[in-house]
Amino acid sequence: MTTTMETVWHNRIFYLFVLPFAVLTILFGVWPIVLSIIVSFTASATALRPSPTYVGLANYAAILADPAFLASLLRTFLYTALSVAANLSFAFGMAVLLDSALLRHGNLFFRLALFLPVVTPDVAGYVVWRWLFDRSFGAMNAFLDLAGLPEFAGLTTATTAMLSLLIAELWHHAGFYMIIFLANLSIRDRALEEAAQIDGATRGQIWRFVILPQLKPAFIINVVYALIQFLKTFTVVVVMTKGGPNEATNFVSYYAYQLFDQGRYGEATAMASVLFVLVIAISLTLYRLGDRESS
Amino acid sequence: METDTAPPANRLLQAGAYALAGIVSVAFLYPYWWMLVSAFRSTRAIMDSPLRLLPERFDLSILSGISNIGGVPLLRYIVNSIGITAVSTLLSVAVTALGAYALTRRPKLPGFTVLRYGFLVTIMYPYMLLVIPVYLVMFKLGLLGTYAGIILFLALGPIQFFLFEQFFRKIPGEVIEAAIIDGASEAQVLFRVVLPMAAPITATVALITFLLNWAQWFPILVISKTPDTYTLPVALLAMNTELGSNFQGIMALSVITTLPVAVLFLAAQKRVMDGMASGAVKG
Repeated sequence: MTTTMETVWHNRIFYLFVLPFAVLTILFGVWPIVLSIIVSFTASATALRPSPTYVGLANYAAILADPAFLASLLRTFLYTALSVAANLSFAFGMAVLLDSALLRHGNLFFRLALFLPVVTPDVAGYVVWRWLFDRSFGAMNAFLDLAGLPEFAGLTTATTAMLSLLIAELWHHAGFYMIIFLANLSIRDRALEEAAQIDGATRGQIWRFVILPQLKPAFIINVVYALIQFLKTFTVVVVMTKGGPNEATNFVSYYAYQLFDQGRYGEATAMASVLFVLVIAISLTLYRLGDRESS
Repeated sequence: METDTAPPANRLLQAGAYALAGIVSVAFLYPYWWMLVSAFRSTRAIMDSPLRLLPERFDLSILSGISNIGGVPLLRYIVNSIGITAVSTLLSVAVTALGAYALTRRPKLPGFTVLRYGFLVTIMYPYMLLVIPVYLVMFKLGLLGTYAGIILFLALGPIQFFLFEQFFRKIPGEVIEAAIIDGASEAQVLFRVVLPMAAPITATVALITFLLNWAQWFPILVISKTPDTYTLPVALLAMNTELGSNFQGIMALSVITTLPVAVLFLAAQKRVMDGMASGAVKG
């Protein structure tokens, strides 16, 4: 019977292999997360001292009683719902279009055009979009004017600012969701479709009962990724709106960051915990759902 | 179906499909064109006609206008970007390959399951909010404002881990057993058998890591004490935040930030797109 120590010693080479990875994970993953959770239970003013004052759940109570935080949370949910719906339906539509036999020539060009923004540094992309939407410089309004369409207020009003962020983020992210759909479409069993066609199924029935069920993995992955992605929306806010106009685009990540910047560490980290729990709960629920279906 | 013999309804459908894909592609590529053209045009000229498709004249005079941003030479940001991205990519590939290999070969060893969960929790933590406590950790480790701090933080990423893990899982057990029966040590198995097989996936991971780390800005901004350790995206953000900003300079800096990764992506597009798709499917 071997003891744990003997097992470890016997496999020491594997511990050696894993050591650098373990050190980085602990130093820059586990430790900061634990630290963040600890700080969320301390009074902000003492948070960084060697022996901080612990205040229990006071920070959590404070943020849940803060109307600005609740408004920010609601706004984040709204933006996330809209973005997930817009990105996934756009990505799915484009994937179906690019997968069809109609676009055999030049297919690669279209894929590259839609995927290039994914690898474009997000700061650079959003900087360009910020100025495209600008009223005096931007190409957006000059184009609308040329086409005889009404002016788009861009980043200057609440509704259009959120819409502008959504457009810029869709430009940056949708190509990624599209290639997940395309990868799934390309490995589907086409013989099933032929069989269904021979049996007299209509195009709509084939999509509904033969193709879509096979695309479930792509849908689950994309929904999880997109939900996490948009719940955490941050860079686009920093670059394009700074949370404005009038807090209209002040999402949770940015709000937490602002508090951190003001030295309100306890509340900022409490918000981080709330967002963290949301993200974990959503991903686990969806993965469980996916696992149960596929097993 | 052959397009020449296709019935008119199909021809029409095909024309519609091309028109739609074409319009979407042009809309997606237009921001690049506008950025590029604007980098050659004066602020005055852009305000007069924002839609011009070609600049009035081609000259690189704007480069002298952004040769120094926030007291730091442009060249330094470029060197920082290349250096930080290249070193963090190499480190990431080495550390993740070894770690993922050990965790896949011996998942049940004491501590390995905990480590795996620790890593999974880390990548689920909202990234921008993780960076904030990382500031405190860097402070405690004395790594604030150092290249080492930035590079170490950028060396950890989910897609790298998932791509390697997925690959190592697919290696047939017999291949490794055969090598061990032939008397190879575990180190020899890794370096002589597994890693040579892993060359293509290693190249994919390196490429994707390079693209992702080139785009990083928030951790670099937080860990830096002065603009001396900024990379191009961080410098671009700083410049974009300034009041009375130099529009033409911002566009030129955007071009400089985007061009290297755009070229790299186009040169290796299949590897990047396939890699990102399969790394996500595992994740």
